[in-house]
Amino acid sequence: MKKFISKPYRWAAIFSVLLAVAFTFTLLNTFILPKSITSVTAVTAIATSTTSSAAKSTAVITDKSYADENIRITIETVRKYNSTIYVADIQVTDASYLKTALANNTYGRNITATTSDIAETKNAIFAINGDFYGFRDGGYVLRNGKVYRSSVRSSENNESLVIDKDGNLSVISESQVSMQSLLDKGASQVLSFGPGLVENGKIAVTSSSEVGQAMTSNPRTAIGQISKLHYIVIVSDGRTSESQGLSLLQLAQEFKERGCIEAYNLDGGGSSTMYFNGEIINNPKGGGSGGERKVSDIVYFGY
Amino acid sequence: MKSQRKQIRKTIWIYLILSVTAVVVNKVYGIFGHGVDSPSMTWMFLYPLLGGALFYFIIERFIPHIIKFSGYRVFYNMYNSGIATLTFGSLLKGILDIAGTNSTYLVFFYIVGGGFIAAGLIIMFIKVINQKRVHV
Repeated sequence: MKKFISKPYRWAAIFSVLLAVAFTFTLLNTFILPKSITSVTAVTAIATSTTSSAAKSTAVITDKSYADENIRITIETVRKYNSTIYVADIQVTDASYLKTALANNTYGRNITATTSDIAETKNAIFAINGDFYGFRDGGYVLRNGKVYRSSVRSSENNESLVIDKDGNLSVISESQVSMQSLLDKGASQVLSFGPGLVENGKIAVTSSSEVGQAMTSNPRTAIGQISKLHYIVIVSDGRTSESQGLSLLQLAQEFKERGCIEAYNLDGGGSSTMYFNGEIINNPKGGGSGGERKVSDIVYFGY
Repeated sequence: MKSQRKQIRKTIWIYLILSVTAVVVNKVYGIFGHGVDSPSMTWMFLYPLLGGALFYFIIERFIPHIIKFSGYRVFYNMYNSGIATLTFGSLLKGILDIAGTNSTYLVFFYIVGGGFIAAGLIIMFIKVINQKRVHV
């Protein structure tokens, strides 16, 4: 063994190959190799389906709005901060119309599909990308009442968005509130990205707040609540000459100006996508050719 | 003695080039990082610079004769492998940090890298001690 290791270039060559293999494997395992852990149990509610068909048949739909007896959506495009911002005002009559969905109906790492593909499989009227939980090993994941992950993120920001059974949003710190206590209090969905933008009616970020080490303006996706069953969703384009993108503080100010009492930042950057009635509203910059990025999950409104 | 110093200086130059390469990789990656950076990638050049160039500079200045020891090649291979593993581990952590993700395999780069360096140094230390005993 000693003789083998002592050879001048043999060891260097073999070790270089081993190191390259380990490096490549880690990258593939992190970014590409899919690992499905749990399939989502299909819940088919015939009564809901009937309601859905009836409501949709009477819906008034335009390019930027949707209205039926249960769901009202209006989308406006705003130019501000040298950026294009898409603001959706959404009102529903019941919390059950605010839902989440996983790519390929499967919980796991690197299980992905575009926001529009997931939305179409769920017949969503309106959808945005979620928290891209499958890109990380930690952070709470509770979807439609089912716990998929209850490990706390080790990062400084471990704020999660909780949507309870009444459709109310709140922001919690994973290190301070356990998943079990959230379930006991009636949590229906928990998304883990963050940070919280507006909490209890006050802006919760500063000009130096950022996601990870990023310090620039970016495409953003965020959701906020004005009052019971009344929500604001904001998606901004970014990283282009036409649209710079928003800082977290600017994003928080937009929610605050619209009267939101709670607002939470979801996965942004190339993931940011707003889908409405079969069309992509914003200009995502996440795919290989600059289109939609495949993500782990979506938040949507529909039946 | 002159040829020993020359050989060590060659190693120092290689490590200096690798340090510059690490800085360039960080800068090029930064262009595509949308303003996101990672301390692990920014400072990865310190492994070849301090652990490599500076370390061999000290050897060249103070104990160049160790290159003649029988176990030097084993030490050399293991120590360099350790520095390489730590540098690549740091690069990998930087890539994952910038992407906003992590990997359970990352820790093995640090364990293996640190292990190689420790093993190499222990082997060299034992050789130096034994050599002194022979001379005494």
